[in-house]
Order: sequence, then C-alpha cells, then structure tokens
Amino acid sequence: MNLSHIKTVEDLKHYLYLAMQLEHATIPVYTTALYSIVPGSNPDASHILRVVAVEEMLHLTLVANMLNAIGGKPDLTRKGFVPTFPTALPDGETDFEVSLMKFSQEAVETFCKIERPGAVAEGTSRHRKKVSKGAQLAPVPHDDSLSFYSIGEFYEEIRHGFDNLYKEMGDKLFCGDPKRQATAEYYYSGGGELFAVTDIKSAEAAINLIAVQGEGLGGAIYDNEGELSHYYRFDQLRRGRYYQKGDKSHEPTGPTFSVDWTAVYPLKTNTRLADLTGSKELYDAAAAFNRLYADFLKQLTAAYNGDPALLIKAVHSMFHVRDGILQLMHNRIPGSDSLNASPTFEIGGV
Amino acid sequence: MIFPEGATRRTSVKAASETLYDAVIVGSGISGTIIALQLSQVGKRVLILEAGPAEDATISGYENYMQRFYGTAEKDNQAPFPPNPNAPMPRSPGVKKIAAGETDASNYIVQKGPFATDSVYTRVLGGTTMHWEAKTPRFLPEDFAMQQQFSLGIDWPLDYDQLEPYYRQAEHEFGVSGDVEEQKLLGLRFPPGYVYPMLKMPHSYLDQKVDEGLRGTSVELDGKQYDLRIRSFPQGRNGIPNPAYDNGKGFVPVGAVSTHQVDAGERCQGNNNCVPLCPVQAKYHAGKTLSKALQTGLVDILPQSVASKVNVDAASGKVTGIELKHYRSPDSPHHETVTVKGKLFVLGANAIENARLMLASGLHGSSGLVGKNLMDHAYLLCWGLMPEVCGTMRGTNVTGGIVGLRGGSFRKQQAAFAMDIHNDGWGWATGAPMSDVEMLVDERNKFGTDLRKALIDQVSRQLLLAFMVEVLPETGNSVTVNPRYTDALGNPRPIVTYNIPEYTMKGVAYARDFSKLLFQRLGAEDFTHYDPSDYGYATYNGIGYSIRGGNHLAGTHLMGTKKEKSVVNSHQQCWDHDNLYLVGGGSMPSIGTANITPTIAALCFRSAKHMIAQLS
Repeated sequence: MNLSHIKTVEDLKHYLYLAMQLEHATIPVYTTALYSIVPGSNPDASHILRVVAVEEMLHLTLVANMLNAIGGKPDLTRKGFVPTFPTALPDGETDFEVSLMKFSQEAVETFCKIERPGAVAEGTSRHRKKVSKGAQLAPVPHDDSLSFYSIGEFYEEIRHGFDNLYKEMGDKLFCGDPKRQATAEYYYSGGGELFAVTDIKSAEAAINLIAVQGEGLGGAIYDNEGELSHYYRFDQLRRGRYYQKGDKSHEPTGPTFSVDWTAVYPLKTNTRLADLTGSKELYDAAAAFNRLYADFLKQLTAAYNGDPALLIKAVHSMFHVRDGILQLMHNRIPGSDSLNASPTFEIGGV
Repeated sequence: MIFPEGATRRTSVKAASETLYDAVIVGSGISGTIIALQLSQVGKRVLILEAGPAEDATISGYENYMQRFYGTAEKDNQAPFPPNPNAPMPRSPGVKKIAAGETDASNYIVQKGPFATDSVYTRVLGGTTMHWEAKTPRFLPEDFAMQQQFSLGIDWPLDYDQLEPYYRQAEHEFGVSGDVEEQKLLGLRFPPGYVYPMLKMPHSYLDQKVDEGLRGTSVELDGKQYDLRIRSFPQGRNGIPNPAYDNGKGFVPVGAVSTHQVDAGERCQGNNNCVPLCPVQAKYHAGKTLSKALQTGLVDILPQSVASKVNVDAASGKVTGIELKHYRSPDSPHHETVTVKGKLFVLGANAIENARLMLASGLHGSSGLVGKNLMDHAYLLCWGLMPEVCGTMRGTNVTGGIVGLRGGSFRKQQAAFAMDIHNDGWGWATGAPMSDVEMLVDERNKFGTDLRKALIDQVSRQLLLAFMVEVLPETGNSVTVNPRYTDALGNPRPIVTYNIPEYTMKGVAYARDFSKLLFQRLGAEDFTHYDPSDYGYATYNGIGYSIRGGNHLAGTHLMGTKKEKSVVNSHQQCWDHDNLYLVGGGSMPSIGTANITPTIAALCFRSAKHMIAQLS
C-alpha cells in the first residue's frame, strides 16, 4: 500500500524542501544542548553533541545538493523554514515533542528518539492519521490529516520518488547545473564526506548516508564509512561508555566516561522573546541573535544557490552564532526563578 | 586518529626490563615516534621511554592542557603542561640576564652565558611538537654545503637530493598544507607534478595588506636584487585536501587523537592559538604518529621513565642497555632504577637532552664533539602599527612572509634570514594583547565600549615581523653536565654555554634595517625598542638588539663523513657505537633558515630504513 505520492518533479522538490527543513531543525536543538554545557566541563558530552550537529550540517547540504540536482532552488529563508519550538515529530503510532532545552537526561532521550525512527511493518502504509494538532516536521504535503509513520518512512518516500521519476524521465531528471553542487573542499564534517549529486546513483548514496548515519536505518551501529551512527553516539551518553568496532547494540565496550549532568546552565526551555521583556539588554541580545541567525541562513541559501565557496565563510558565521548563544545562556532571566536565557530561534521570513 | 585504549599500560617496568626489544627509543617526540612507526610496521618490537606521565591519550586529556592554558596567567610555550620536577622543562619566563662570569642555575637549564637563551622543549607525550607552530619549509640545497659554497660552517654528509624523497615522506606524515609552486626558489627542487597533501592555508588579510604595500620594492645585497614578494609557508596543519596529491589519490586529513571516535580537528579553524596548543588538534603533533605506531601492537611505551645512563660494553663499543629511573608520581622523587635492553638503541630526546644523556653516561665521543656546536635560530622581532585595521589575530599564527633572502652569495659575509609576518600581534615581543589592555585601562582610563573599540583599533593594526636568522656551528656553544647541578631524580641538568656569533649579528643588524625599510613602505609606525636590561640583549657595532631563541635546537651530535670530526654518520648512527643512533636536530651540521622539524622528520625516515636493514 505504498503508492508514492511523489508524482512530479515539483512534488519531489517540495519533499526535498521539507527534508532540508527537517535536517536544519535539529541544529538549534543540538546546539542549544551543546552550549548549555558549562565550558570546560563534560568534554565527552560536548564532543558527541558537536559531531552530531556538524553532521546534521552535512545532511542539510546533501539534501541541498539533491534539490539542486533536479533543478530546484534551496531556500532556507522562507517563512516557516525554522519551526516554532516545541515542534512535533512522528514516532511510530504517535508523535513526540522536540524542545529547545538544556543538556539533560530528558534531552538525550529525545535525541535518541529523533535519531532512531521506526520502520512500518512490511505491506502497511507509511502514512497514518496525524496525532498532534499543531505543525509537525516532515509533514505529508497536501493532506493535513495524515502523518508519516516516522522520519525513516519520510525518507523512504523520497527514495521512491527519485526511483519512479528516474524510471519515467531517465537522466533528464538530473537537469541541475553541476556548478551549484557543494563538494568536499567546501565543507569538512565530523565524519562522512560531502559529495555532488548528479545522477541516480549519487542521489541514492546521499539518501543512504543520511538515512544510515543519521537515522540509524537498518540498525547498523557504524555506517559504510565506519562512522558511528547518531543514535549510537547519543546512546553512549546514556551509558557513559563509548562504542567501538565489533560492539553489539546497547552493549558498548569502549572507554568509559562520566557525564556531569549538573555542570549545565539552567536554561528556560523554549525561551521566547516574550519571556525576556523584563530585561531590555537580554531582549535586545536575543533579538540580535535571531537577526544574526537569519543572516546565517541567508548566507547558506546563497551558498546553495551557485556560490558553494560561501560555505567556508559560513564557518566564521557559526563562530558568531556560538558567541551569540553563549552570551544569552550565561545570563539569568530576571524574575524567572533562577533560569537562564536561551536563543529563541524565532525566525520569520528572512 | 584512534589511540588504542590501554596502550600505555601494555607493559610494566618489570616486564619491559625482561624483554629484549628490537629497538629501545628514548623520547616520544617527532624523531622517536617516526622511527617507532617505521620499525613496527615491518614487524619489529619497539619500546619507547617517555620521561613525562603518559596516560592513554584521549581527547579530554588534551583538553585538560587547554584548560590549564586558559587558567594560567603566564601564556608561555609551556603554559599548558603541568610542572614535573622529575622531568623538568625549561620555561622562558624564568630566564634572566647573565652578568659576565656568572652562572644562573635558578631554572632547569643551567646557563653560563654570556648570552641567556629562552629556548625551550617540552617533555610530554608528543614532545615539543605539542607546542610547535608547524611551519614546514625545507632546507635549501645550499644549506647542506655551507663550506663548499661560502667557505663557512660544516658540510653535511648528504645533499638535498638525497634527502628529498624523505622530505616528501615527512610532508605526508604531517599532512602539509602548501603550494609547491611558491616554494620553488633558491634551488629548491621537487619531482615533476608533486603537490602537498593539502592546498595552502589562505593568506591572512594582514599578509595581503603587507604584500600590497611592498609591491615593487626590492633590496640589493652583494650586488644582487632581491624582490620582497610575500609567499605562503607550507605548514603541518589540516586544510583543504588536494585532490591531485599522490597521483590523483588525494589525501585524508588526520584529526584529533583519542581513544574513541571523536571526529575533531580535520580542519584548521583559525583559532590563532597554534602556539602553545591548537585547541582542536588540526595542527600536527607527534601523538598522531605515536597512535599509528601503537596500533601495530608491537610498540610498548613506558611512561614516567627518565633515561639516565647509556651502558656500553668497553670491549666491543656496543650499547648493552639503557638505565632508566621510573617514578610513581610527579609529586615524589621516589623511583626505581632498571635497565632495558634492545638490539638497537635510539636517543630521540632533543639536541640538549640527547647530549645531556650521553655526557651523563661519560660518552663524549671519540671526536670529543658530543654537546659541542649547539645551534638555535636567533630571532629578531620588529613591531609596528599599520595605518589601518588589518585584521590581526584572525587565522593561524603565521601564513606568509619573505623568504627570498634565505639564500644567496651574501651568505659569505652575513647570516641569511627568513621573515615571518606574525598574525598574532605583538604578543611575542610585548605580551600583547594583555599588555594593551593594561595600557588602555591604566594609562588611558578606558572602560566598557570605549575600551573594546580602542583594543580592536590597537590590536588589529599590530604587525610583528619575526626574523629567523641563521646561526653556524661553533664548538664554544655547548651543552655540558656537572654533578653539582642535578634534578629531583638526581639526573644531571644540562649546562648551556652560548654566545651569538658575529656572523649572525651581522644578519641581525641587516634585518633591523630591513624592517625599517618595510615599515616605511607600509606607512607603519615603528614601535620596536630593545631594552639593555633584556636577557636577550646583544650589541653589534655599538647598536643593541634583543634576541629570542627559536626552540630549534641542533648541532650537539653532528653528522659527518669522518669519525674524528663528527659524532654520527649520515644515518645518525654513532661512529663509536654501531647499535646506537642519536637522532634529531643534534645531528644537523647547519640549520639554515628553516624550522628544523621537517628536516628532523626526513632524517628519521631515512635513518629508520638503515635501522631496518641493520636488524635483518
């Protein structure tokens, strides 16, 4: 019962836009947790969060490559590209909420859910009735009442979309200008390499990299490049122990480490600008951060639209983003019962 | 790069002392790790003795160095590394001016002067490459034949072309970023089509502004014109891999060392903290090579083990073992003394420590040259303020400079130099930017936004030119030992007698005039001043200059073609003891105007081949 809903190139472009939105949405979530860790403490946790966030940037860029390959125009500046947190993600029969929150055991459980989507049973629909009321990441376009069963199924839909359209159109599907592709020299990742998407083979490879490394599809601990998948990277935080090659799921045997759950700034979960009106300085800083982040998205959009070398400059911007986040997190919200501020990521249309 | 967990505990003092290794290596720095890697890769069993504590190198340990650096007021080269009285290290902030006839024994290196050196080396896992800046220029062909070319100094027993393939091996090991085309000057040759593993580090904005200001300027020296083109330095830090490397196979950068997959350090981020420590391990350090060597499973490492004596069989001249002092904790001098044995022995400590260990063992060499001919680059610093904001402090410490005066017929009369454009402000000369904060607060009463603006205006216009001036071997410049001066374990400390030769001072004086020309062309205000009370103050022709050490220690066991005139042969094999190799800067008969580590690495790759042949 898995008839593809992707019938035209325009459908596929829209799905890829939604995929970019999904990949990007994890970045505010992971970086909020990462920078809530008191500098100098929790080196292990910091590195785990950092690598996953960096690899989400890789996935985002790979999706942009896919979209460029079929003649699309990646646009991270569209209104609503950055979700309003908390936001819902499908997780099998139900949804779960993703919040901008400090590094904590609860946050790690959410991250594990993000990174390990379930697959539907063979022969059943990858859609189900939508549970949550509000907006949801990776929605089913054109049908508000439906939801994908999981993120994994959302990517399966894209995979089938590519396959079907390729059968129909052949290489004409890949009509994009290869110069718009961002390739390895413009990007360094924690693990996994950026590559150009120019044909069905490279499109498949991109989906596989995202699905296996990011979403842990197939249950493999390591991906084909020998990189630990995101679910298992986070699982290490639950267990205080690293995986190494040859390990079984949930039984890491590598070096042990400890996590200090208390060496974390007490952030207000899902801080909104409206929460900061009691302090002009904090409010201004949070608003300035949102402008800075909007500029960063603009810069990425330009990079994905024919100027991939801008990705190198975007690295500078990411340092500014970090500094902006730290500035907010190191400050108490007046009258908030001892909670610190946090970036609000309230980005309208850019 | 995975450092195998438990690798530093694979053996114990007892087990190691009962094993006959193929090779026992003293030191886990650049020389020792390259040789350990080469030997273990062909199945040889190796023991490395490390003087410092060496827990499994996981990323949090490295980051503890960073935290220590952040928390220390004095940001010198050794700031990240904890003091250890059992394996003490020289530190530059302790260096004092030495009055005539005086000996300063207040620091680890006992200094007899007359010149007080502030050169240092680091006694931790990875050695001095932990704090090196990682510039990787090669020596010029003429540097190998100073006597032949200029009737000065001492010739090497090998030439540039013989060492060339090993330079390429070293460049692979470091993961050098650079542009070969820019290096092709003054006779530097590369095989056709050769490129570095990674593309060159982009020039800093400051480099570009200096280049712009100097375009069209040239100087005349010994009747020849030299242009002042700014060229990039090749460097051992991760950049963009060059797809053309290795006949189109490309290159995969080696990132941070850890006992688990960490995926950090694959690219330089421009933190401008290369010295004393790259925060992300994008800079090469010998820990990367050590990790690879440990992965073979054939390399043991004994930490907290200070080599104290080389035992020699009087009849055969062969080394029979190395005595070491193993301490339980850096906090206590309590130790046990054991002897370890191998078929070959390699001293890879550094030019001062190798000589110290030989002399402490009563081994002066039949030439009497062990410890003699100590060399180190003399650095002259000149600093000015650019007329406009030049973005100083963005990018790596140094990306470019003037290297056209590294060679030429003028070397008959005066020392050559290479000039770095320092992208980290006046720090080396004045302690900036901290000194700027103090000045703006105390003298100009700045605070808040004003202070921030004034700091940006001040610091981002700073231009520091560092002239690396060559020093030739002189037997009077030396390392000795004396039982009067010992460390916590009772090992004799090195005693250094050092003077800056006149040939070098001529180069220094020329460099200072050269800097004035540059500042004038750039419209930069010259703030250079040398204080007679400075420990590195030296005069030439009635004018004073402050000289800094380069941490490029060399010459104390130099190589040659004759037993009577050198300590080791071209394979760094000791003339007197054929199963002993003294490796590193100490083997070099000249240091030219290039940072010495790439040449040390090249020599060690070459020597390792000889050792393997000797073992089979």
